[in-house]
Amino acid sequence: MLIRIQGGRVVDPTAGRDAVGDVWIENGRVVAASERAPDQTIDATGCVVMAGGVEVHSHIAGGNVVMSRLLLPELYTSEAAPEGHPFAHAGGSAAWIGANYARMGYTIAVEPAMPPASALATQLELADIPLLDRGALTVMGNDDHLLQLLRQREGKAAVRDLVALAVATSRGLGVKCINAGGASAFKDGMLKLSLDEEIPVYGLSTRKIMTALLDAVEEIGVPHPLHVHCNNLGIPGADASFVDTLEAAEGRRIHFAHAQFYAYGVTDPENSATGGFRSAAERITEAMEKHPNATFDVGQVAFGQTVTISLDILRQFAGRKGANPKKWILTAGDAEGGGVVPFLYKPRGAVSSLQWAIGLELMLLSKEPERTILTTDHPNGGPFTDYPHIIHLLMDKEKRDREIAGLHKVIGERSGLCAIEREYSFSEIAQLTRSGPAKLLGLADRGHLRAGARADVAIYRDDRDRTAMFARAKRVLKDGVTIVEDGEVVTWTSGRTLELNVESDKAMVARSETYLQDRFGAGLSSFEVPDEAFPKADVFEEVACRA
Amino acid sequence: MAAWVKGGATDADSAVDAAATLLAAARTPLVAGLCAELSAVRAAYHLADAIGATVDPAAGQSLYAELGSLSRTGAMLTTPAETTGRADAILIVGNAPWDRPIVQEIAESAPTRGRAAGTERTLLSLGGPRNGATRHVAYPAEAGGLAVSVAHLRAYLKGHLAGETAYGDLARRLAAAQYGVVLYDAAELGELGVEMLQGMVKDLNEVTRFFTLPVSDPYQGRALLQLAAWTTGQAPRVGFGRHVPEHDPWRFDGARQIAAGEVDAALWLASLPAPRPDWLGTLPAIAIVGEGSPEATGDAAEIVIAVGVPGESAGGALWNDRRATITYAPPIGQPAELTAAGVLGAIQDRLVQKKAASC
Repeated sequence: MLIRIQGGRVVDPTAGRDAVGDVWIENGRVVAASERAPDQTIDATGCVVMAGGVEVHSHIAGGNVVMSRLLLPELYTSEAAPEGHPFAHAGGSAAWIGANYARMGYTIAVEPAMPPASALATQLELADIPLLDRGALTVMGNDDHLLQLLRQREGKAAVRDLVALAVATSRGLGVKCINAGGASAFKDGMLKLSLDEEIPVYGLSTRKIMTALLDAVEEIGVPHPLHVHCNNLGIPGADASFVDTLEAAEGRRIHFAHAQFYAYGVTDPENSATGGFRSAAERITEAMEKHPNATFDVGQVAFGQTVTISLDILRQFAGRKGANPKKWILTAGDAEGGGVVPFLYKPRGAVSSLQWAIGLELMLLSKEPERTILTTDHPNGGPFTDYPHIIHLLMDKEKRDREIAGLHKVIGERSGLCAIEREYSFSEIAQLTRSGPAKLLGLADRGHLRAGARADVAIYRDDRDRTAMFARAKRVLKDGVTIVEDGEVVTWTSGRTLELNVESDKAMVARSETYLQDRFGAGLSSFEVPDEAFPKADVFEEVACRA
Repeated sequence: MAAWVKGGATDADSAVDAAATLLAAARTPLVAGLCAELSAVRAAYHLADAIGATVDPAAGQSLYAELGSLSRTGAMLTTPAETTGRADAILIVGNAPWDRPIVQEIAESAPTRGRAAGTERTLLSLGGPRNGATRHVAYPAEAGGLAVSVAHLRAYLKGHLAGETAYGDLARRLAAAQYGVVLYDAAELGELGVEMLQGMVKDLNEVTRFFTLPVSDPYQGRALLQLAAWTTGQAPRVGFGRHVPEHDPWRFDGARQIAAGEVDAALWLASLPAPRPDWLGTLPAIAIVGEGSPEATGDAAEIVIAVGVPGESAGGALWNDRRATITYAPPIGQPAELTAAGVLGAIQDRLVQKKAASC
């Protein structure tokens, strides 16, 4: 079927396009303008047309997400709403996640923390998220098998083969390390870990583990660079950890998760632990400009109640003191495990206000929005449903000033946000939410509207109230099928889970089988994610490695 | 033979039709058991939503002994493999965990990973059977029961009680551990006991690393708990009477509802072994049970449909107790004609057809 989206303001920064025009779609792909009469014409007059939104870092599935629902059942509300899907109105459910992303014009979302030890559970949950394509990043960096290889100086090939096997077995889209060595160190009594500090028992450091993973990811040809959650998240001086880690990459591709939580400079160097923090957004921005090999997602804060979810159990254990309400779960898992700590971002609170300002500052200072991805690290900084509001703040200086006026004065004292005049354009928003994250994931047919792109398209009414505009898309097409009209889901499609097509080394398979049998009394088959485990067929779609 | 209606053998299609007829006429149905592979549990939740049913699994009692405490205070947890590989001190609370294979594994091994590697492992018990078969240091429960015993132990750990007592000695041993684990059964310890125990372990983490390892229920509770959470956003006991999942552990306790006369029809799903509920033969009920099980007979319920047993005559995603996660169990023999998910889906399809026909 040939579809013509007619008369909208087409925004595709990858093609230098920001003008009224048409987008043509056929067989689920964007095609060049056609001489033929379209089978369907979608009137986009007065609308902004963009590629579907791409989410790179949102905790939408896995054991810790499940735990967060059980710890804080009151976080989301379930409402009766005749959506056509039985559970789309069940707050916080997989269907609710899919529906709410789709309403905003997003068409793919990636869970950034899939432990290989429980990959099947994570993948089953992801597969139940409707409407979107999905993916998950395989987490490594604390597992005894990997750390043993590194301790024994087995060489790059062994590490590469183990990483490739973990990705293939768990059917991941990429690789992430979370405070590499931190969970292991925590289990052995440490409460803080820096880049070069020795990890007990193994004699390794975060630097050694992370650089080994950086090499492995490059050798395998994973399209998405190593996704890194640094040491010392959320503490004054975390900016130094960020910059040190950036330099430790030594020019290799690297992606930093939720940079806002690291952009905290020490206010009082004499008293770094208790003297509070100030924005280090400028320092982070300067460092990023010097390192074109790096990208980051923001981890913007949104005010209100949320729950923090992280496999960084060392950090989450420290964070328990700030739990609000005062309850928390910490799991020492087979590698990382996870910590689930409720948190309330208070609009009148100095700390929350400053965090909120720093995230915006990072985005507004960035000269390259494609390397600066919009996330809230859902739900850690706040829910992903706050994206339209954040976009509004980026595009409208007056709106920003009005909100700042109602927040704590620390924003003016310890951040540079108030002085920033910049307002994002639609093209920059598209870079921040479409082309940037698609390039980052290595998905060449997403995030743009050039011929050959997947026909994932979001159409928004051009409304000065950008929150309203981006919260409820006028129409969303997924693979050329209209799934949302006027902010409501009209067709319930299933989407696919993207997995990296990666070969496993037979010798490493045999070696891992022996290791796993010894440690778990169960072999590699108990880590696998077979098609037969899923209630529906054709759940997965392969993504090729880089040549 | 795979299906029976009112005691008479029939084909699966007729049984599915009878099941749909029964459920279509019900005003307050119950979907219970859910001791099955995840695809079947998933189908059961979808069916429950379609008919406005209450859902309550066979594992409900055990799960909610844990969940009440979890939602009030949280927990500190670890896995069986971490316990076996790292723990230098393990406290077994109560009698129930002693039947589990992990106790023997723990008793026969020593820590091999982490800072406690190479040290001797100490096995301790509080209120255990004291049978002497496994070498351990036993501390009797107090007269008030396990929960009170844990409370007293916690008081010694916090310094609120002191003295050269048995519990004082136990408290010192726990605090001296490098990686300690408490093994317990939530159903045996009770909700308040679990909450006290989790509080005690959190206290211990001010001085060392200590975690808990609750033993799993045998009815797939840990697996369905995850599916329930991602499907409805809530724990398993929900009601769909208003066509939105409402979570209420008391209101949607299936046994309570039946005793109170609130249920007019029920569907029992147990493709894996689970204790047959006493209401199965008295309420208008559908039993979807594993082939070859004692319930796979015409007199078990008004409608009985025998289906493949996951891990035997059907594949399925199941809770793996050893791995403490969901893993796939392939069929090891001839696949059964019917799967539980297929039957549940067929019943739902038939309900839709009946509804369309009546319009």
